Amino acid sequence: MERLLQIIFNGLSQGSVYSLIALGLVVVYRGTGHLNFAQGEMALTGAYLTWQFDQWGIPLLIAALLAMVCGFALGAATEFFLVRPLGKKSPFAVFVATIALFLGLNSLDGAIWGGEAKPYPNFFPNDDDDFIRILGAEWRYERLGVFVVMLVLTGLFFLLFKKTKLGLAMRAVASNSESAKLVGIPTNLVLMTSWGLAAAVGALGGSLIASVNTNVNQLTMIVVFIAASAAATLGGFDSPGGAVLSGLFIGVLETGAADYFPDWIGQDLKILPAFVVIMAVLLFRPAGLWGSSRVERV
Amino acid sequence: MIKVNENSPAHWAIRGLGGALLIAVILWVPTMDFAGIGQVNDALLIALAAMSLNLVLGYTGQISIGHSAFFGIGAYATAILVKKYEWSPGWTFFVGAIVAFVIGTIVALPALRIKGIYLALVTLAIAFMFPKFVGWEKLEWLTKGQSGYDSVRYKDLPDWPLVGPFPKGQQGRAEFQFWLSILVVAISYLVIRGVVRSRVGRSLIAVRDNETAAAVMGVHLAQTKTLVFGVSAAICALAGSLSALRSGTVTPESPNIQVVGSVVFLVAMIIGGSATLWGPIVGGFFYFYLERNLGDWSESGPLEFIFGWSKTSPATMIFSILLIVLMFVAPFGVVGLLKRWSRKVVQIVPSPVVGSVDTKAPVAPATAR
Repeated sequence: MERLLQIIFNGLSQGSVYSLIALGLVVVYRGTGHLNFAQGEMALTGAYLTWQFDQWGIPLLIAALLAMVCGFALGAATEFFLVRPLGKKSPFAVFVATIALFLGLNSLDGAIWGGEAKPYPNFFPNDDDDFIRILGAEWRYERLGVFVVMLVLTGLFFLLFKKTKLGLAMRAVASNSESAKLVGIPTNLVLMTSWGLAAAVGALGGSLIASVNTNVNQLTMIVVFIAASAAATLGGFDSPGGAVLSGLFIGVLETGAADYFPDWIGQDLKILPAFVVIMAVLLFRPAGLWGSSRVERV
Repeated sequence: MIKVNENSPAHWAIRGLGGALLIAVILWVPTMDFAGIGQVNDALLIALAAMSLNLVLGYTGQISIGHSAFFGIGAYATAILVKKYEWSPGWTFFVGAIVAFVIGTIVALPALRIKGIYLALVTLAIAFMFPKFVGWEKLEWLTKGQSGYDSVRYKDLPDWPLVGPFPKGQQGRAEFQFWLSILVVAISYLVIRGVVRSRVGRSLIAVRDNETAAAVMGVHLAQTKTLVFGVSAAICALAGSLSALRSGTVTPESPNIQVVGSVVFLVAMIIGGSATLWGPIVGGFFYFYLERNLGDWSESGPLEFIFGWSKTSPATMIFSILLIVLMFVAPFGVVGLLKRWSRKVVQIVPSPVVGSVDTKAPVAPATAR
């Protein structure tokens, strides 16, 4: 019981980061119908920026907020300069552009900050006794903090979607961009905001995972991106709630798999059970658990 | 602009010239030293893998980021059979291709239900898992874990008919590897050409352009997609087998077996030109030599001026910029661009059917009866 609870705590914290990145993927997909392969690397850039601002002596919390602002600009610029003009040509061109951005941002980060890992500051207190004990299992503040931040951010996102005019506009564009344009919604601006928001959330997610890992390097986000895209797939690509829940589920599943079967699965193959689950789910529900299947016209 | 009738003597002359040029280049390569031939061999590997990817992504529009895994299947099949079971390397190509075909069709099975980005992510997951899977300690008896296999190669090189034996040592091995690669690439080219120009190929393009419409028009989606994915995986495995013989070492860390490999094939294919037969081949060479030399080039001259501040090699960055620029100016890559330009000089037009109306003759006025 204690062990199970411990796994759930650690898994939820790990999964929180997946949820944040997956949330970004879903927000972009709902808006423009493209999968942003660069989402992970945008988050990596955000993590590096936080590190850089922290190095310059800016308090960590403000550094992270600044990185989110930069992330927003990066995402919005991507939509404006790449996705919008290329989207008019073909979806394939956008796919290639996001792959190019994935490579480009990764090597840009390497070019600016070098290939070696940077020790990362911690957002939350992490002394030996900084944990709360629930039924014998320890939830360390640094991990608990990630989970809480994710909950708050997701909550804000749902408020945005359901209660604000911008959220309404985003939902309108997602459901039918032509009609949205006809009723006077500035679709282009809405899409730009979606990309910006996704990248901003990603920047925070990247900073959080780097802080949990205590370092950041060029490869940090690749594994996270794969897990996050798995979460988005499982949840259904157009369901933000599904993405968040699936991210948490995958976090718990992989932590449990690595813990219960150290010989057979271990740290290296821990994502394997999640993939098996996803393949099985996709066979029966091709649009994911909470996704809506699209009706196609000829 | 010159107009040339299809299959006229002039058209055959152009084709003959192209063929002669190609043969001249192929014959010229083995006269280089073994390092030079080795580079060509490496480029051919990427070209072959890009060709296989083109079949799935370029023609069918199914996004696969999993081809590094199929490459790895070929490489491991060859390494295991040669080193552990002491097969002759030639036979291992078939085994690798068949295994990859079977696994490719299994991967494609859910692809019948899932499409677009879902397939992209499933294949990405496979590419990500493969190196971890072969490095898994429970499979160490078969794959030798993290250390992998080394010195996978032919024990003795066969003799040429008429010309005599290959030179001894590295030179001979490089030349032999070159001819082997050319043979495999040529066969794969013919297979891909056959697939693309057949009824299957037409249905592929129909599927890519509008899947629902294709299904309505009577394309058997399930059959077509599965078959093509399998064939593509098999060809990629051939590239993997070649790579095992080329470098002699196969480990989970081999760059083309990692996820990065899939991205490399993708970049090579797109630079060369997707949905063209020659695109991936040109792209493979383009990518390989550019990637190899960009590091040096960026240490002096204009590239140094632009990228001199970079802490790591700017090669990848330059490639990503190149990709984005290509998407704006030439979405069909270098070969697509060349085709467009050459069409301004020489245009091949279908020859008029014998006995058809000569369109150049003055049309009789409608009133004359």
